[in-house]
Amino acid sequence: MLDGIFAGLGTAAQPVNLMMVAVGCFVGTFIGMLPGLGPISAIALMIPITYGFDPATGLILMAGVYYGAIFGGSTSSILINAPGVAGTVATAFDGYPMAKKGMAGKALAIAAYSSFSGGTIAAVFLLVAAPSLATVSLAFQSTDYFALMVLGLTAVAAFAGKGNVIKALLMTVLGLMLSTVGTDQTQGIQRFTFGLLDLIDGISFLLLAMATFALSEALMAILRPKSDADRRREMEAQKNLGSMALSRAEVKEIAPVVGRSSVLGFLVGVLPGAGATIASFLAYGMEQRLAGAKKGAEFGKGSIRGLSAPETANNAACSGSFVPLLTLGIPGSGTTAIMLGALISYGIQPGPRLFIDNPEVFWSVIISMYIGNVILLIMNLPLIPYIARILAVPSTVLIPMIIFFSLIGVYFVSFNTFDIHLMVIFAVAAVGLRLLDFPMAPMLLGFILGGMMEENLRRALIINNDSWSFLWERPLTLSILVIAALVLFVPMITPYFTRLLAKRREAAGEGG
Amino acid sequence: MLSKDRIGALFMLAFSLGYGLMATRIPLLPFQRNQAFTAQTMPEALAILGIALSLALLLKPGSAEGQEIRGFRWREAALICALMVAYGFLLRPGGFILATIAFLFAAMWLLGERRWLVLIGASVPIVIGFWALMTQGLDVFIEPFPEFMRG
Repeated sequence: MLDGIFAGLGTAAQPVNLMMVAVGCFVGTFIGMLPGLGPISAIALMIPITYGFDPATGLILMAGVYYGAIFGGSTSSILINAPGVAGTVATAFDGYPMAKKGMAGKALAIAAYSSFSGGTIAAVFLLVAAPSLATVSLAFQSTDYFALMVLGLTAVAAFAGKGNVIKALLMTVLGLMLSTVGTDQTQGIQRFTFGLLDLIDGISFLLLAMATFALSEALMAILRPKSDADRRREMEAQKNLGSMALSRAEVKEIAPVVGRSSVLGFLVGVLPGAGATIASFLAYGMEQRLAGAKKGAEFGKGSIRGLSAPETANNAACSGSFVPLLTLGIPGSGTTAIMLGALISYGIQPGPRLFIDNPEVFWSVIISMYIGNVILLIMNLPLIPYIARILAVPSTVLIPMIIFFSLIGVYFVSFNTFDIHLMVIFAVAAVGLRLLDFPMAPMLLGFILGGMMEENLRRALIINNDSWSFLWERPLTLSILVIAALVLFVPMITPYFTRLLAKRREAAGEGG
Repeated sequence: MLSKDRIGALFMLAFSLGYGLMATRIPLLPFQRNQAFTAQTMPEALAILGIALSLALLLKPGSAEGQEIRGFRWREAALICALMVAYGFLLRPGGFILATIAFLFAAMWLLGERRWLVLIGASVPIVIGFWALMTQGLDVFIEPFPEFMRG
């Protein structure tokens, strides 16, 4: 393991890779700051550029973009109350009130220090957890992988649907359906190609991600333009940032918050499907309860604890979400799903073998995450007043740019103009679905996992002589499937039970 | 009025039905038909799941919130979509530089930008710079001009 760490350190410390982390963090912050554009869009926009790099460098760049985008999202949450991504919504609860009080600089500094600490602590956990899980997962068979993918998809659907499980599940199924377009991998039969040559290889994941995230976001911004008052507020916010210094008492107050939120964030991040959003809300809720009556009442009005907790947790969860990706090859979130797609296109199959076959990739990614955190702190924080100027670029210029980079990013991979037209179709469909409150991330995850799921299921059936009995005969497979069922059904039936209990209590109260 | 959930459910139901119908038409070779898992298996299972979930969404008592369609800039969004389609058609015959400058110029104009300095400043240098970066920096060749302008 030590050899691997040193090899990873050697790769990550190469000047070109250090530069990539820096560029990634910078570009990620830039893109993440734009309302609506989060890490998924940021990484998708970078993929065409990384095709020319070797896999470790490409991944390092993307890891930097990931962190940068989360940090950028926090900045727009704090300055203009417009979270770029769902993971930084909780940041706005206390960050924006602080900015309104003229303490935007302090809020940004707390966000940066908390992100740094959360990311650093979680990177250490990752260093320990990932190799252990990778070793265990070597014993996994196709049947277990199939079950794990089912677990990943149900968990994502259950968490991503903002309480609406059915819609999230439907989107997951839609993603799985789209993954079946093209030539069937084993039997060589064309499916859903409508006789079009352009669809024989299936739909590219990059195309789908760009169309449903970046492009549809641009179209949504056209449909619902910002009001003049919003624009004035944005201009005002970036003019008066205030001091970025923290007092000793403030550092003392947030230190335990950071410690607790890091552990919570990492653990939540490791769970498939949960990710940064759930982690940030859980950490916020936990700290509010732990803060006591007096400090707890400050939450939502500019509490530094309330800002530090979600910021720490969302960064820790980002590191945590790399555990299932790197060790099992199963992404736990939309963002890691797109990174998985990128890895596969580099010819690298993430999973337990990655740790053995490509230790330099495995370790350099983990180490570059740490470097990314350092760079965010020393480079991005002082530059925030300048980077924030992107918020002043008028939407009449910004939206066409986002559309152009999305279209051309996909075109430069395939050099097929059919892809541009397909993107327009998907973007329009995505806008419709978003207006109807359907979440997009489960669809992307279903799409990425679809092919792998089908292949593992087919392999499991071949190994078991065409018998489905492996689903209940192999204890590990069965346990994972039971967990998947619990993850799916418990949130669905809990409200009914709560209502039933409340009714009983009411009836008992009336009776007594 | 139909709620958001119900409209979505109807769309997804129609899509799943269409998908399921096409799944049954996936051509299989005679020896493949007897296998436990064929190219049809997963699509058929997904179609059934899609139909079941759409029906569940359609029938479940949920929020009655409808989708307001007024107040959106539909015309601009539709025109931008048309512009993207046109860009797709013009990219090869028109060459990257000319087609992209025209696309950005038209898109900014459509969204209400009327300052000539911004229109030109935000399109010409960015497109030429991007083309230079791709062709010179990353070795990705793209034809810059239409055929009649090539030497």
